[in-house]
Amino acid sequence: MKKVWAVARNTIAQALRMKIAGVVIILLLILLPMMSLVMIGDGTLLGKLQTFSSYSLSLVGLMLCVLTIAISTFTLSDEIKRRQIFMVVTKPVSRWTILLGKFLGVVLIDVFLLIFFASAVYGLTCLIPYWTEVAPQEYQQAQNEFFTAREGIKVVIDNAEIQKRAKERYQQMEKDRRLPETMTPKEIKAQLFNEERIREQSIEPGRSRQWDFNGVRPASDPNALIFVRYKYDASATPPDGRVFGLWSIGDLQSYEQGTLTTPIYNVRRDAPTRSAQEFAVPAGAVAKQGYLGVGFVNSPELNVSTVMVQDLEILYKVGSFTENYCRMVLLLLIRLIFLAVLGIVLTTWLSFPVAILVCTVIFGLGTVNGFIVESFDGFGVGMGTVYHYSIQPLLSLLPRFDGDFSPTKYIISGRMVRGMFLLRAAVETIGFKAFLLMLLGMWVFRSREVAKTAV
Amino acid sequence: MAESQFAIETIALTKVFPDWWGRSRVVAVDNLNLRIRTNEIYGFLGPNGSGKTTTIKMLLNLLHPTSGAAVVLGGSSSEAAVSSRIGYLPEDSYLYRYLTAYETLDFYGRLFGLPSSIRKLRIETLLDMVGLAGVGNRQVGTFSKGMARRIGLAGALINDPDLLILDEPTSGMDPMGTRQIKDLLVELARRGKTILLCSHLLADVEDICDRIGILYGGKMQVEGSVRELLEQTGETQIRTHSLNESATQRIRQILEEEQGECEITHPMDKLESFFVRVVAKAQQEMQLTSGAGAGAGISGFLADKEIVRQLGILEQLVSAEPVQNPTITEADAVTIQTQLRPVTESSSPDNSLLRTLTASKTEVPLSGKMESSPSGAAQQPKPAEAVKKDILEDLLGRGKKTDGTTTPTDSKTDGETAE
Repeated sequence: MKKVWAVARNTIAQALRMKIAGVVIILLLILLPMMSLVMIGDGTLLGKLQTFSSYSLSLVGLMLCVLTIAISTFTLSDEIKRRQIFMVVTKPVSRWTILLGKFLGVVLIDVFLLIFFASAVYGLTCLIPYWTEVAPQEYQQAQNEFFTAREGIKVVIDNAEIQKRAKERYQQMEKDRRLPETMTPKEIKAQLFNEERIREQSIEPGRSRQWDFNGVRPASDPNALIFVRYKYDASATPPDGRVFGLWSIGDLQSYEQGTLTTPIYNVRRDAPTRSAQEFAVPAGAVAKQGYLGVGFVNSPELNVSTVMVQDLEILYKVGSFTENYCRMVLLLLIRLIFLAVLGIVLTTWLSFPVAILVCTVIFGLGTVNGFIVESFDGFGVGMGTVYHYSIQPLLSLLPRFDGDFSPTKYIISGRMVRGMFLLRAAVETIGFKAFLLMLLGMWVFRSREVAKTAV
Repeated sequence: MAESQFAIETIALTKVFPDWWGRSRVVAVDNLNLRIRTNEIYGFLGPNGSGKTTTIKMLLNLLHPTSGAAVVLGGSSSEAAVSSRIGYLPEDSYLYRYLTAYETLDFYGRLFGLPSSIRKLRIETLLDMVGLAGVGNRQVGTFSKGMARRIGLAGALINDPDLLILDEPTSGMDPMGTRQIKDLLVELARRGKTILLCSHLLADVEDICDRIGILYGGKMQVEGSVRELLEQTGETQIRTHSLNESATQRIRQILEEEQGECEITHPMDKLESFFVRVVAKAQQEMQLTSGAGAGAGISGFLADKEIVRQLGILEQLVSAEPVQNPTITEADAVTIQTQLRPVTESSSPDNSLLRTLTASKTEVPLSGKMESSPSGAAQQPKPAEAVKKDILEDLLGRGKKTDGTTTPTDSKTDGETAE
């Protein structure tokens, strides 16, 4: 362990001499305070907080990722290139000790810089409400929707059911010989699927829709709130771009059966289309068994077009902002640890320029993992087993830095990073992917001739 | 572990370098059977590209042999038990430019798992020994090549190794430094170390090596003890004090009666010995006139440090007064070379300077009495008190390997020498 520490110390000393470390630190030191002053979001305090915190946390994440990639691909490759490694491997130090020491050194730098800059972002975020003059209700909104950690329950669209309906329609059309001749069956099926999907979310004028949420467990605080998050869309955009809706929140199932177990809150909301909106009702709307009904009426008096309610979600507070922020930072740390391992492992075999290229590409793929997997899945449909056993396992080895793995998603909506999810991300990214990589790196480095010459 | 009599043994060791496509291209080492006995100084010679460094790299597991095997200290150098007993100085020092001399040695010490108290003590004594005590806090990136070699050598000694593998240890060093390193190596061998020395400076190898091997094209061309290989049995050399004309006439006469030809001249000093004596004397005088003359002739910081080192180490090594008149010391001596049947051993390595540095006050070098032709510098018995029992003993243990512990006496002597 002492030898691992010796290598780690040397790695840190080496990395601190790299100009990129200085550049990253100076850039962040200049940009973060500047962003806190310049960014205003949509003009509200909440908007400002959301914009600043998400951009600055993304920037810190990106800069530290770049730095980690640079250091991790440089540290070992440079020692091999300058042959300083001769003086290390000829000592009673196993090759895995060297790799572990390098890893520890890079991770320690990451941890230090991450704590420093994440604290800076946290400090600036907390200070923004103090130096911004705002109305009390805006301040309250920021407290409710930003300085919080909320659990969210989403409406899950049953794709299988939609697929089934699309198939039935297709069969019906086929029977009626109404299939358009200009389109291939595949195109027709895709279009029918999309139509059914839109229909699933659509509420025509004069119609209503009800969604049932179970397992809603807000804090027992009498002042606790339930947040309804949604996004409007319309078949024909209204002239002012706004859609009107009437919402009912409460134990709607009992209400329909003629009993009233909870208050039913009726909320009228008009909002622009295609942007996420929220409103709050007291947590008393949730029935004892954790049930909450959300109803929406598309009143023909208010709207003339079909309204689509998308990304509907129920949110309620389950923890503090500070605790949640720490979890978001941990998500970033998981990402950095993976990149540290990746960079070091690549240089057991590749030279610095090649390794940094590969590492950057893998990082890039990681940040668009969802898109890549989705597009390959689409591509692989026709390939069946071949795809299932070749490309899919490889794709699953790619790191995931987007979607649920990205902290910005949580900070914008004040959403809790679940403990189990954090654990899963750590086990999947570090415990499995990085660990496998490290084993591979140790094997390569162990069998490598460090003084190898090709003629 | 049962130690064989060989510190290094290779069996048909072969290394073929492939090209990018994996095709065999260059045979760097070809069926090499190298055997280096424990406690000898072995000179590994050969022109550039003859496979010396490749062999060393295979011994140290930096390269894997294409075929054959290498046994180092009874095992493989990839084993921690073996590599912890090896000190290695590569052909270039390969230092971390951003570390200071002290940090460099500290890093190596940590890699050997030395506890911090031992590390601290050894680093200080080593820095002192290689003459870098004054620049311990300077980054090694600013060092000259010679200084880098010194720190590299100190690094190779930090673990008190049983086997030292040195690739061109004196390249880039000044003659004084070279002389010191050579003396140090002889002293290390006297203390039971085995040394594999690669060098192009043949005079140095001749001075200190017990055996040499000459490699060419990856094959051992010739191997044997320095004496065996260099002794010219067809000639006889007699050294004596200066003779008057009548004496030399009579010698000529005797030789003519024996049908021999002879050449009677005064022997030539080696330039290295001469240089070292002149510098030593200059430094001695400078110390006496400290003040006005202290900075004279010193160019820059580096030179300053070198001089400081010389004053310290040379005086420690030489317990004798500086030679009063170095330029004429050997003028009284006469060498007679003749082609008579051999009567004494000749062509011994020049160890005069070693003796100058290590002999006691009463032993004035080459002072006219017949020389007993020692069979090699390494076997030359040295007065134990001549080499100051300080730095080396602190570092290397008294006569034998230390077990890593330090007695209070050790630290005391260290304190004395570190001034």
